[in-house]
Amino acid sequence: MAVKAPPKCPPPADHPLLEKLRTALGDALLSHGVTPEGHLCLMVPPGKVREVAAKLKELGFDHVLSLSAMDYMAEGKFLVMYVYASYLNPDLKNQLLHVRAEIPRNDPKIASIADIYPSADYDERECHEMFGIWFEGNQHMGKRFLLDPDCCIDEKTGKPLYPLRKDFKVPDWGLMG
Amino acid sequence: MSQALREFLMRKAKLEKLFKWGVRWSLWPVHLVTSCCGVEVAHTSGPGFDAERWGVLPFHTMRQSNVILVEGTITRKMARVLKMVYEQMPEPKYVLAMGACAVRGGLFWNSYHVVQVDTVLPVDVYIAGCPPTPEAVIRAFMMLHNKIKGQPGPYIEPTKVDLTPYLPPPPKPQQKPAAQAA
Repeated sequence: MAVKAPPKCPPPADHPLLEKLRTALGDALLSHGVTPEGHLCLMVPPGKVREVAAKLKELGFDHVLSLSAMDYMAEGKFLVMYVYASYLNPDLKNQLLHVRAEIPRNDPKIASIADIYPSADYDERECHEMFGIWFEGNQHMGKRFLLDPDCCIDEKTGKPLYPLRKDFKVPDWGLMG
Repeated sequence: MSQALREFLMRKAKLEKLFKWGVRWSLWPVHLVTSCCGVEVAHTSGPGFDAERWGVLPFHTMRQSNVILVEGTITRKMARVLKMVYEQMPEPKYVLAMGACAVRGGLFWNSYHVVQVDTVLPVDVYIAGCPPTPEAVIRAFMMLHNKIKGQPGPYIEPTKVDLTPYLPPPPKPQQKPAAQAA
């Protein structure tokens, strides 16, 4: 059964924040879309993630709600998804800003934004051990954070396996466990 | 000497029955809330169900209690803590696995990071459900009572109530029309 992968960015539409972000980000904005809930979604190049984060901090987004990844195994890519939001700025109330970047699956490396947004630190560490994405600049890369130290290790090579990748195989418990 | 005295007291002086009676009516479970089953245990000890009628007093430290009630999903990291907690408890001690997650993994069956409780601890009573109702928890404690008495099994007879005087009379079967002659 072939499962169709979801689109990387929702279809484009008009959004009140779009003009402001387009002037602020310049050529760091590749494409955009609006989710069915009415939140803006931006695609950015993976090399400019730190630059985008610094500019969004100037615009008033004061924390990263969520940082996760998605495995597009057929295309050989990871989609790293950042969700920015604001507590204090009244203009950005009830707004979530999705920022997404594509990185190759065989060499998953992207710059860390944990020093700009400290709330992204734990999410980066979780994303690192679930997907194996290396966030350059985060000091905790290569360590276990949420997973058990004995869990998800390849028996032959001793290297860690990443359980949320599509090619990860869980040990089968059988019918009755 | 103390061993011989203990043997005498338990066997000859027939204190074993008294001992079991004492253990049976003071089962103090440790809350090990790892999932939503903890909400149901809160109801069990609340005034609505009041499990303290059977001597079930919720307790917070494992060193002073004798039942560990595993409420929910046990991950591999939590299993280490569970084993440590269990080994700190004084004898006699009992383990109750509550909910589908603790029994067979439940929603997280065959996950990379979930273990079943009976691979870690010797489980005395399983409670099925997702989450189990407070009645099911109380029933599990009754089963534990029976196990301590030495007659394991759910020996709880249901209360029978005759409702026929309060119910409407059953409808009379309608008579079939006679078959018409062809």
